[in-house]
Amino acid sequence: MHLPDGIVPVEMALAGYACSAGLVALALHRIKTLPDPQAEIPRVAMLTTVFFAASLIAVPVPPASVHLMLAGLMGVMLGWFAIPAIMVGLFLQAMLFGHGGITALGLNGVIFGLPALGAFGIWRLIGGRWPDVGAFLAGSGAVLAALALFAGIVLAGLPAVIDAGAERIALQLLLIAHLPLALAEGVIVMTLLRVLRRVEPRLVPHG
Amino acid sequence: MAEASPRARLVVVLFLAFGIAAVQGLAVLPWVIGLALAVVLACGHWWLVLRRMRGPAALALGLVLVLPLIAGETVLAQLGPIALRLEGVQAAALIAGRLLAIVAITLALLAPLPPFQLVAGLRGLRVPALMTDLALLTLRYLDEVSADLRRAHLARQLRGGRSGWHALPDHARLLASSLIRAQARSERLWAAMRLRGYDTGLALPVAPLQVHDWVAITGAALLGCGVIWLDRVL
Repeated sequence: MHLPDGIVPVEMALAGYACSAGLVALALHRIKTLPDPQAEIPRVAMLTTVFFAASLIAVPVPPASVHLMLAGLMGVMLGWFAIPAIMVGLFLQAMLFGHGGITALGLNGVIFGLPALGAFGIWRLIGGRWPDVGAFLAGSGAVLAALALFAGIVLAGLPAVIDAGAERIALQLLLIAHLPLALAEGVIVMTLLRVLRRVEPRLVPHG
Repeated sequence: MAEASPRARLVVVLFLAFGIAAVQGLAVLPWVIGLALAVVLACGHWWLVLRRMRGPAALALGLVLVLPLIAGETVLAQLGPIALRLEGVQAAALIAGRLLAIVAITLALLAPLPPFQLVAGLRGLRVPALMTDLALLTLRYLDEVSADLRRAHLARQLRGGRSGWHALPDHARLLASSLIRAQARSERLWAAMRLRGYDTGLALPVAPLQVHDWVAITGAALLGCGVIWLDRVL
């Protein structure tokens, strides 16, 4: 679900950079208030590496196979660190694998970063009391939020010559195609956090 | 261009990419494609660019196939219910041209660089140390962690693991065990970093920009502005 180069007008791409810079600045400000932020860097890096590697593996979700997005899980496990981690991941994906693009980096940061923060908020709010519900909502909600942001940005950025009917059909098809991914991520995040709460609770803050 | 530092290359890519992204008219598209081709040929490594452009090329092809059928009013040709429309052809050509040109320039200038130099270039552009350290450590362990995960998935399949939706909890458990191993490894890593006196970041020291770097950056800024100017006047 990466936005490629050249699809949206340059004004939107620049606005995406500005929004992402704001998100990163906010996240870094919150990170600096932690007791020892430097000590968190290796942990965040190792977890980011696992998320990055896991997103490269196709998981069979009938009727096809999908690449997990894991923005919700990153939000739950990394908190504010999810924003710099996502930006780093998107930059490396654009450079190493050609996913996304250099001009779309800011918009992609918004598409993945905001849902991750939303998942972090959901988990903090209800993860302690109803962990399974919180985990499922964080996982599948992040996919749906990213999808909504992606569709909104693409539709706003496409040329005006495309008629509204075709845009609506494209949006509906996109939603239907990604519903299995949203469900799958919800189930995976719920199961995964259940295992981690039992085996290594330090990995699940606020739970 | 071949001697330009990673920091200068990043700035050059940004100037050219945003210049091309600002193009609105088809008249300037041949110039943009010519510019991209010139950059690719000047940098060498064109085979690397071609190899990594398969994904973006497939996306551009998809746009070229779909947009002319769904966008616009002016019918160019009709076959039964399917009509080829002028405005759709124009939009597809513009978007696909911009996409391929930007990706080709990005890959030609940045793909040949070792990833660690690329991160050093980012640090030189004042990207926060926390982010460049994250990038360096991620790059350092990516191959190892990917191989571990793939092995675990293969082992699950060989053991006759469940398939379809029933397999999702198994995938979640594999991911959980990878995360637990990553947590244990990160503790050892942090101990090692502290022993080595980790303080202000891991990225390589950044050399000051040389004359040829400034020439490349100024040239890219002029070319980027030139593309925008041509687009407005043509």
